[in-house]
Amino acid sequence: MPALNMPQPPPKDDLDATWTFLEKGINSVMLKLEDGIDMQTYMVLYTTVHNFCTSQKAVGNGQQHLHTHRGAHLQGEELYKLLGLYLSRHLHDVSRESQKHTEEGLLAFYIREWIRYTTAAKYVNHLFRYLNRHWVKREIDEGKKNVYDVYTLHLVKWKEDFFANVHEKVMEAVLNLIEKQRNGETIEQSQIKSIVDSFVSLGLDENDITKSTLEVYRFYFEKPFIQATRVYYENESRQFVAENSVVEYMKKAEARLEEEKARVGLYLHPDITKYLTDTCLDVLVTAHSALLRDEFQVLLDNERQEDLARMYRLLSRIKDGLDPLRAKFETHVRKAGLAAVEKVATEGETFEPKMYVDALLQVHTRYQSLVNDAFNGESEFVRSLDNACREFVNRNTICKSSSTKSPELLARYTDSLLKKGAKAAEESELEEMLVQIMTVFKYIEDKDVFQKFYSKMLAKRLVHVNSVSDDAETSMISKLKEACGFEYTNKLQRMFQDIQISKDLNANYRDWQEKVLDDEDRKKLLDSHFQVLGTGFWPLNPPTTDFLAPPEIVRTAERFQTFYFDKHNGRKLTWLWQLCKGEVKTNYIKSTKVPYTFQVSTFQMGILLLFNETDSLEYSDIQKATSLAPEILEPNLSIFLKAKVLTATPEGSKPGPGVVFNLNYNFKNKKIKVNLNIQIKSEQKVESDDTHKTIEEDRKLLLQSAIVRIMKSRKKMKHVQLVQEVIQQVKSRFPPKVPDIKKNIEALMEKDYIERLDGDEIAYIA
Amino acid sequence: MSSGTPSSTITLTSSDGVDVTVERQVAERSVLIKNMLEDLGDSGEAIPVPNVNEAVLKKVIEWCTHHKLDPPSAGDDDDSRRKTTDIDEWDQKFMQVDQEMLFEIILAANYLDIKALLDVGCKTVANMIKGKSPEEIRKTFNIQNDFTPEEEDQIRRENEWAEDR
Repeated sequence: MPALNMPQPPPKDDLDATWTFLEKGINSVMLKLEDGIDMQTYMVLYTTVHNFCTSQKAVGNGQQHLHTHRGAHLQGEELYKLLGLYLSRHLHDVSRESQKHTEEGLLAFYIREWIRYTTAAKYVNHLFRYLNRHWVKREIDEGKKNVYDVYTLHLVKWKEDFFANVHEKVMEAVLNLIEKQRNGETIEQSQIKSIVDSFVSLGLDENDITKSTLEVYRFYFEKPFIQATRVYYENESRQFVAENSVVEYMKKAEARLEEEKARVGLYLHPDITKYLTDTCLDVLVTAHSALLRDEFQVLLDNERQEDLARMYRLLSRIKDGLDPLRAKFETHVRKAGLAAVEKVATEGETFEPKMYVDALLQVHTRYQSLVNDAFNGESEFVRSLDNACREFVNRNTICKSSSTKSPELLARYTDSLLKKGAKAAEESELEEMLVQIMTVFKYIEDKDVFQKFYSKMLAKRLVHVNSVSDDAETSMISKLKEACGFEYTNKLQRMFQDIQISKDLNANYRDWQEKVLDDEDRKKLLDSHFQVLGTGFWPLNPPTTDFLAPPEIVRTAERFQTFYFDKHNGRKLTWLWQLCKGEVKTNYIKSTKVPYTFQVSTFQMGILLLFNETDSLEYSDIQKATSLAPEILEPNLSIFLKAKVLTATPEGSKPGPGVVFNLNYNFKNKKIKVNLNIQIKSEQKVESDDTHKTIEEDRKLLLQSAIVRIMKSRKKMKHVQLVQEVIQQVKSRFPPKVPDIKKNIEALMEKDYIERLDGDEIAYIA
Repeated sequence: MSSGTPSSTITLTSSDGVDVTVERQVAERSVLIKNMLEDLGDSGEAIPVPNVNEAVLKKVIEWCTHHKLDPPSAGDDDDSRRKTTDIDEWDQKFMQVDQEMLFEIILAANYLDIKALLDVGCKTVANMIKGKSPEEIRKTFNIQNDFTPEEEDQIRRENEWAEDR
């Protein structure tokens, strides 16, 4: 009692009836799906496939025997083949229909048919699910090629019987559409997206039908698309370059690269990204890279930061794009640095160290910000900048006479910042400037020269107590330590410590005086302060002249010595009179209520105190009483004459034998405190020369100690290797010259530290 | 489509014209039903099931109802499940039916594409075969021996390797 008026499946053993029935059903799915399919039809079609596949229709007994090893025979092959034939016929019709369409019409047709066909395929696949589950599965499990599940069969047929006939025309239409868009027209880009999706869907993996590949898309879409892209941009860029400036071209190229990148997201498969980008870069950048690079110098000269950044971005994306720029950049910076120094040099000998350092810094700062802003702070450009800076810092017009000029000037500038004076900077500003000094310092090759000058000047600041602040001094020392290591700043730190220790020492000394002195002594006591400085750490020399200190000073000094030797038995104190200073009061001048105070050096004090006994003294008397050498005595007398503390007889004569000096009772000055302790010019020059001399000496020692150190650990070494090793070890201090190293190796051989063996080998003598 | 509401019911019409109403979720244990509802949508009409009669359909629905919350089968890859002949207790009881019904259930499960039920059915039959001699098997399933003695001998020799020793 079959239900209602439900259609009945055909007899299950009758292939012809079965197929005729199925074909009618499939036809309505393929062509009239929009009319809908009722459940009865759906179920009966499924049932028809099921019934046929489960029918016992034997395929002949003989054949069955061959198949014994694979179990029961499965029905379905005939249906599968008939379905395939049906699809081919169907697609043949679709092909014919497609010939009526071209360009965008064809695309619309393709997409419409694709959607219709694949939707139907999903239905048919479900209706034939029983076939898929059994016959198809068995075939695939047994490794049969060219058997697919029913849905995939649809795709395979589409590809073979339709796609193969139209893909060229479809792609032509697609490419025309994209060209329109590149030309600025608005297009229906969802069409292209649909085509891409269809091509991607057709990529079937022959070896594993559950997977898909992009081969169809790559071969039929990517290839022609990339080819068209190449041609398009070749033409466009050639024409654009001919009619526009390079700067304009770069803007255009960058815009186009962005556009193509966006295109992938809009309607292409991401698989193409790299291929497309590479193609565009090749055509738009690599092909014009020579032209771009030629413009680099022009942009640098005109400081076109934005355009430089654009050029960097473009060329950084192609292989070896930036190397030539780096070389040009380095040369450019070096020239800029040299020119800046040249300008300072036109000032003559008298320029301030600040001018020089500022000139160096300015060039560095300008190009560092260019590297950061335009070149993305890229490490290779940083290296080019460093190379250029190292060149112009160490080799320029001002350094021409002596390569040690840069470190000397830098040290002098540092001194001017750290010394108390009118130009003292704010604390935060000062720190900023110290950081900048370190920027230049980094490039200095003769770091030992800087160290020499710096320690001399630090010594003076400490001895004369005219540092701007302990904090600033400490900060600078720690920066140097960070840059060059403990050894480099060891002595600087010890100097600093000595000053701290001396403070405590003076406090102890005062306590001691309280206990030891009687009232008589205390009346004559001078207000005094002592600094005890370790000989090994301080770059100071004993006085170059004899000096008989005035008795008042001698007494004070001797008392301190008694105290000190009591505390530290066996130590030796050398009085550095040339660095001592004091104040004297002019009780002899009656014109003011408050007597003048003169700030004087100890040498000057020695001269002036002589006038406590008499009003006039002859030159030779002064010399005899003080023992001062003429080259010290004379300039100091000159200072007194100039300040009118003393007057000369005969009037107007220069200090020298025969001249008589008189105390000026009518001395007048606007200030109550008068500083007479002025540095004598010749001293400064001598000092600088001395420093340069000691540098040579120190370098010799540094080289020799490096050689000995190396040989002591290696025992035996080739000469060439030793030289290399020495260069490695000392180059952080100064760039050693090979002949100097050889000379010092010879010197050490003479002193029997090392010996020469056969075969250019050197050995350490224990 | 109202596939989002699991409480909705649908009606199945058996081959002998009886309507059975079930939860949609239960009916969708059958991939056939599930696909069809997906393709055509639920029109509210009764769904004809031309190859299954009322008794069997009800039995199948009973099984589907019990298993409606099972995770969807992992398919052919789930080898371990396929290879054991263990059957859970409820299913064992469910399968305690006469041979004819057992085979009807298996056929219906195959037709309706209910893999888990098909597996249980086949395992039940396998357990009936296990440990029996050919003669016992023939008796169990009422099969006539149509081999000649020579043929039988040959088959035995060919399959010697598989004997339990």
